[in-house]
Amino acid sequence: MRVPRARPVEQLLWWMAAVPATAVIVVGFGVPLLQSLAASFVRDGRITLANYELVYRLYGQDVVYTVLVAAAGLVLTFGAGIPLAGYLRLHAAPTVEFLLKIPLFVPFVVVGHAMRIFLAPRGTLLSVLHALGLISPDASLGFGQTWLGLAIALAWKHLALIVLLLMGAFRAVDESYLEAARGFGAGTIRQIWAVLVPMSASSLALAAVLALTSMLASFSIPLMMSRGSGPQMLMIDLYYRFGQHGDFGVASALGVVSYLLASGAAYYYLRTVSR
Amino acid sequence: MSARAADALAPPAGRYPGLLVATARAALVALLCAVIIGPLLGLVVWSVAERWYWPALVPQAVGLKYWARITRGDLFGALVRGVTIAVITTALALLTAIPVSYAAARKRLPLGPVVLMLFLLPQAFPQLPVFASAAVLFYRWNLAGTMAGVVLIHLVGGLVYAVWTMTAVFRSIGEDLEEAAINLGASMTYTFFRIALPLAAPGIVASAILVFIYSLDEFTGTLLVGAPYVTTLPVYMYTASLGYEMQIASVTALVLMAPGVVLLVLMERFLRAEYLAFFGRL
Repeated sequence: MRVPRARPVEQLLWWMAAVPATAVIVVGFGVPLLQSLAASFVRDGRITLANYELVYRLYGQDVVYTVLVAAAGLVLTFGAGIPLAGYLRLHAAPTVEFLLKIPLFVPFVVVGHAMRIFLAPRGTLLSVLHALGLISPDASLGFGQTWLGLAIALAWKHLALIVLLLMGAFRAVDESYLEAARGFGAGTIRQIWAVLVPMSASSLALAAVLALTSMLASFSIPLMMSRGSGPQMLMIDLYYRFGQHGDFGVASALGVVSYLLASGAAYYYLRTVSR
Repeated sequence: MSARAADALAPPAGRYPGLLVATARAALVALLCAVIIGPLLGLVVWSVAERWYWPALVPQAVGLKYWARITRGDLFGALVRGVTIAVITTALALLTAIPVSYAAARKRLPLGPVVLMLFLLPQAFPQLPVFASAAVLFYRWNLAGTMAGVVLIHLVGGLVYAVWTMTAVFRSIGEDLEEAAINLGASMTYTFFRIALPLAAPGIVASAILVFIYSLDEFTGTLLVGAPYVTTLPVYMYTASLGYEMQIASVTALVLMAPGVVLLVLMERFLRAEYLAFFGRL
């Protein structure tokens, strides 16, 4: 049954009901977003591209680093997530499903701290490996503070959400296709790669975009795991530029770079979700 | 999980003995346990480690000295402040999000899709640069370093969860019952409060829990807008770990995780469908 069109008075009432929440988003997110956009073009009271020039000179390397870390995190997440979600689609495994959901409920800061302890040069992982006799006590694990350590931490945090999203997509694939595949002798792997993945390509892409945007913009995890030297994640640069140098102009320009990095992804994401 | 391991987990195809499948399955669970639980276990050990020298597997001296700090001082203050902020944020998020979500779900909101898209922005764009810019604005408005400022910034993120889950919930309950009530002469207001709202109650609880947990764990906004005057547990934890107070940071981390663990159990038992619907929608 079609809902009758609302009368003007009613329409006004619905508008008013939407005002408070919308106002919060506009004041708390929309206006600051535009302000940072504007501030990125201002230096010493003049309109200029100087902020961007500084970003290019000081942080060019970090932009590349950020993209690479996010890409590595994405590869790790999907490398583990696709087989796991596929397996869960084909076989009931409540224990696996429960275990996978745990990271979803662990705050980002906690993940950062836990991974820093776990992967540190003398961290928990190393002492366990040492106790098992797998490495010598003088060995250093070395990757806790590198791009790989960061990518592992990001993948750990995002795996649960990705598996949930993929499982939802995989469950929407009709059982008859899988039965047909099994009829031709396809095992678990074949069913995942030849049936589930191609048939949920658009959901996979959406999940990838979501994870990539989130990893590009990650702040708490790199902050907890960060070290003094070498390339940094963009959000760390931005935080220090803003907090310690009080340089709102360059911080804003860094912000705009991050919006641009995320915007391709964000565009795709908004378009798919709104459909 | 390697490709070969996954293949071994396929249902026994005659030539695979059942034992092999069971072993492979157990191996997968053990591996996942190590990967998922392993890093968290380190927190537990550090939280009770009073003396720990490399390369010992376990601390030389174990005790609850650092746990005792929960009941006094900064940690307790940060906990109470965080919970207070989360309660206020959740209440405000529900109050403001219910009308929008209901109107959007019933397609009675002019420009509904555009309005809903607004509520995706904080999820689709990097939050840190926006919150840094918000901090500048809030400073001008005398909101920086105040509880009100922190609540407002939490509300921005919290509304994303509230609006999108509740829109999904209102959509899922269907319009027939409301139409029937209206046809029988009930007013719109009566129908909303007596039919739609009670039916949506479980979903509203789910979204309230999500907003509460989000606010409790929120770090970026609190750090930029609230610090150093308004400190919550995540910020406290960050400060502690900066000073290499590993034990304090680990105790705080475990306290921070507790609500999430409870939520995980609750969600498993009661709120599963809504929860999954929400994430599929995101």
